[in-house]
Amino acid sequence: MEFLSNLIVNIGVWIKGLLVGGGVAEHGAALVVKAIGAVVVGFFPLMVVVFLIWAYRKIAARMQGRLGPNSSGTWAGPYGILQTFADAIKMLTKEDIRPQGVDLIPYNLAPILVVFASVMVWAVIPFGPGRGLIGADLSIGIFYILAFSSAALIVFLMAGWSSNNKYATVGAFRAVAQLIGYEIPQLLAVLAVVMVTGSLSTQDIVGSQDVIFLVTLPVSAIIFFLASMAEINARPFELLEAESELVCGYFVEYSGMKFGMFYLAEFMNSVAVAAIFTTLFLGGWRGPWVDQAPILGTVWFLVKMGAVIFLWMLIQITLPRLRIDQMLAFNWKFLVPLALVNLCVVGLVNKGTTEGFPGGASAWTRGSILLGANLAMILATWGMLAVGERQARRRREAWQAAQAGELEVVV
Amino acid sequence: MTEVTPEPTNGLMAELQERFPGAAQPAPEPQEGLTIARDRLVEVATYLRDELGYAYLSNITSVDYPEGTNGLPPRFEVVYHLYQPTGGPLVLHVHADREDPAVPSLAPLFPSANFQEREAWDLMGIRFEGHPDLRRILLWEGFDGHPLRKDWHEPYYEEDHKPFSSRFPEGRPMPAEERTLLRRNLRYPPGWSPRDWRPMADTWGYTPHDEVAHQKNPTHPADRVVLNMGPHHPSTHGVLRLLVTLEGETIQKLEPMFGFLHRCHEKIGERNTWLANMPYTDRLDYVCSMSNNLGYAIAVEKLLDVEVPERAEYIRVIMAEFTRFLNHAVSIGFTGNDLGIYFTAMLYALEEREFILDLFEMTAGSRMMCNYMRFGGVAHDMTDEAVELARELAFERLPRFVDKLEAFLTDNELFRARTVDVGVLPPEQAIAYGCTGPLLRASGVPYDVRRAEPYSIYDQFDFDVVVGTNGDAYDRYLVRVGEMRQSLRILQQALNRLPGGPVMAGKKKATLKVPAGEAYGRIEAPKGEMGFYIISDGGPNPYRYHIRAPSFINLGVMGELCRGHLIADVVIILASIDITLGEVDR
Amino acid sequence: MLEQFTFVGFLLVVALFLGIFLISLSWLLRPKRPSPRKSEIYECGLRPHGEPWVRFKAQYYIFALVFLIFDVEAVFLFPWALAYNWLPFYAVLEGVIFILLLGAALVYVWRKGALEWM
Repeated sequence: MEFLSNLIVNIGVWIKGLLVGGGVAEHGAALVVKAIGAVVVGFFPLMVVVFLIWAYRKIAARMQGRLGPNSSGTWAGPYGILQTFADAIKMLTKEDIRPQGVDLIPYNLAPILVVFASVMVWAVIPFGPGRGLIGADLSIGIFYILAFSSAALIVFLMAGWSSNNKYATVGAFRAVAQLIGYEIPQLLAVLAVVMVTGSLSTQDIVGSQDVIFLVTLPVSAIIFFLASMAEINARPFELLEAESELVCGYFVEYSGMKFGMFYLAEFMNSVAVAAIFTTLFLGGWRGPWVDQAPILGTVWFLVKMGAVIFLWMLIQITLPRLRIDQMLAFNWKFLVPLALVNLCVVGLVNKGTTEGFPGGASAWTRGSILLGANLAMILATWGMLAVGERQARRRREAWQAAQAGELEVVV
Repeated sequence: MTEVTPEPTNGLMAELQERFPGAAQPAPEPQEGLTIARDRLVEVATYLRDELGYAYLSNITSVDYPEGTNGLPPRFEVVYHLYQPTGGPLVLHVHADREDPAVPSLAPLFPSANFQEREAWDLMGIRFEGHPDLRRILLWEGFDGHPLRKDWHEPYYEEDHKPFSSRFPEGRPMPAEERTLLRRNLRYPPGWSPRDWRPMADTWGYTPHDEVAHQKNPTHPADRVVLNMGPHHPSTHGVLRLLVTLEGETIQKLEPMFGFLHRCHEKIGERNTWLANMPYTDRLDYVCSMSNNLGYAIAVEKLLDVEVPERAEYIRVIMAEFTRFLNHAVSIGFTGNDLGIYFTAMLYALEEREFILDLFEMTAGSRMMCNYMRFGGVAHDMTDEAVELARELAFERLPRFVDKLEAFLTDNELFRARTVDVGVLPPEQAIAYGCTGPLLRASGVPYDVRRAEPYSIYDQFDFDVVVGTNGDAYDRYLVRVGEMRQSLRILQQALNRLPGGPVMAGKKKATLKVPAGEAYGRIEAPKGEMGFYIISDGGPNPYRYHIRAPSFINLGVMGELCRGHLIADVVIILASIDITLGEVDR
Repeated sequence: MLEQFTFVGFLLVVALFLGIFLISLSWLLRPKRPSPRKSEIYECGLRPHGEPWVRFKAQYYIFALVFLIFDVEAVFLFPWALAYNWLPFYAVLEGVIFILLLGAALVYVWRKGALEWM
């Protein structure tokens, strides 16, 4: 029971003990355990994605009145659970067509780097309390995440520009516009969290969420979520790929496993974003009884991550795509100003609360005052957005008037 | 209210004869309308458009008379069908020389003539003088000959002019599996080899685009890119090719190019017997085969002069309206796909379509290629079971679906953001380009053939013509939704009043004698006005068989609508025009 | 601190290995029959006409310039946000004024019409 309650850390300790017992120096054993940890963390997103692709297909199918992958007539196992493996085998055994005139080095490097960037993020995601259940509790944790997630921009540009294809070029140009734009609100939303926490370490951020930041900083959470959707090229902002316009966007010339890597990276990125969102705003591994059994922290973390992924799927399956100019306008004329205002309001209100209460405010008091300020911001934004709604109503009235007048027209 | 009778046209003909003495004469029997002198055509057309309000040039076609008829010498005839947006038809005939056919072009006056004159040049070889861009449109540049001419013979069927004589080499039958283009069945004329052959012209039509691409933007040093969207593209709804010149993502010039699905439907139609053409019409707009059937049946019935039994008329209306509903549902669903909704909208629409196709299968025996209408009725009666299903659909299920569709899309912020003010088509332009159907009505022109020239029994039903206000892609969506509701209204009335009785006038006959003459039957197909222009010489098959395909003519405005928009808007505009390539390419 | 980065180093190797491993696995399994037809550039089924590598018009050019300002600004804000908890109120106010100045810059750019897709 003792062993199970902190399973993962205890396995690490056990391996280390074995190695030391076998005559390996203490320092070397620690390194080996770290290396094993790196392999586990590195392959974790891959494992999640294998399940996730199946789940995505199944959920999308159910939302669309279909069955999705199933076992009838195939070897895909009960509920088609083996479908992803069939896909993987297909991808692996597909011929890799190398198009004429591509710029070979970036062309071949891009699929490796796109997976690389989305795996690297996992180094600083805390899966549980303490130092055992996080890859590396870096003091610059969140900064590290932001750095690697914006590395994707270079990869998309490499893939698109090196492909010697006009569709891919358009996709690459869109990538630059979109990814650089949405980095700003993402950064500013994270800044609000950092401000309240006072640390960049992801473990500290989780630790300071006595009340989860989704409640105390909802505006930051919304901004971060939207900007992240754009950063990982997900549906309402899925402009780099834009199947119905650019056929496949920046990776149109990739085939076989190289295409598969982009597909994989898309899902891996969504898992990564879900994990980051969970860490920043949903309290990460925190939940009941984590003190008694730290392994429960990992379970809580996965459950919360699953909820965020489900939200991502819901958006993916139901929403149409924006246009590139609308997407930029949404970023620069809505998200960035809102993020700036949010930063000011959170900074002032939070400081005012700490200074204003002589004995220091409790987490709950601080939280509720912050929530109030955030709600005020949301209401103000809502009021400003109602202008669009008024335009829509005017148009509806004109439409109804036209229908009424239509009866008098002769033909 | 909807009095459209031949009388006003007769008065008009007298007026025209008076104004253009010698240039306008009544066409000889059994033709309708006027014969216009070739050199004064533009003058007459200008007068008709500007003074008399015949702004809507609906149909242009051409007929070949290599022998000469009605005491006239061998000639080509170009036939124009003009309408007022509020009135009756006017048919103009223009004669052209058989040896060197040339007719003044109406394209500068009526933009709708652009594509249709190109089609007449392509298939019949009539030069339209003054046409801005007289190139082939359905066939490829470099094709030899003009196939609709009576002296151009079809390989395999009209033996004496086969270019590649081959079907049974040495009189020996050949197994079907060997008869493919790549096997032995193809023998080329002596001295001709496909390897040496090179197309003469700019086969892919890049020249005008290169010109645009070379004109640089004076304020910006960017290069322009010429890009092919299609034929192999996810959202061109088939094998349509859009040749686009881009500056950044902005469209500088866009030109639809098609013909990948061309099978010279009209030539096949002239080879088949009258009735054997019916299943071929299914393949025009393969989403709504029932409407195509109806249009063809109505055109031939005009020549035959048969009375369709009442029950058959009701069944025709029921089928046509279900088809309209089906088409609009599918069209909106696919618009969702083009917007980037992950198949969801499309699959919701296809689910309803399955039920309607079930109904078609119960009555016609086939789901998509129905081949259901006959001259003087319909092929099979509707069983009670089918009527029951139709009632369930029209009263219960489909109204629920329309409500659901509206709940999901009409006020959806993202849907509105992508469609409002995209591809705005002003009403004057819509009329000038000959647009019909929801595309025209969304621009605010309440023109519906069901009202303007009621066919079948549409005058007995109570329904509204849905019109838009802005003429953008969003209005086209709203018009489609409104028409779905109106279709349900008609269906509910028709199903409530469905009488008994026979469904076919007279006995079923394998061959039929169609009296000599010409007729233009038109219906309001889901995609717009669908016209069948047929000429009979009393023989077993049509002498001339021309289709006014709504998708084809609506596509003519595409280049105009897309100019200055972004690449993402192109797919939305195309989806909102709603085309089927089976009908465009024919 | 630095010992934490050993893990990042290991993960770097794993992440690179993952990509290379998948590519090489498929290199072992896949068929290899290149042909000139197959390796044509995709342009909807037709031979491409003209080069894709042209001076493509970046219609968001000014956005990219504005981005630079904001990205650098965000870097300046991180130390401020880190030190926030032990800053006195007036120091926070100074930071807020800095942000407001940037907001004013954004409004200026907006009013100038630079935040338009051209």
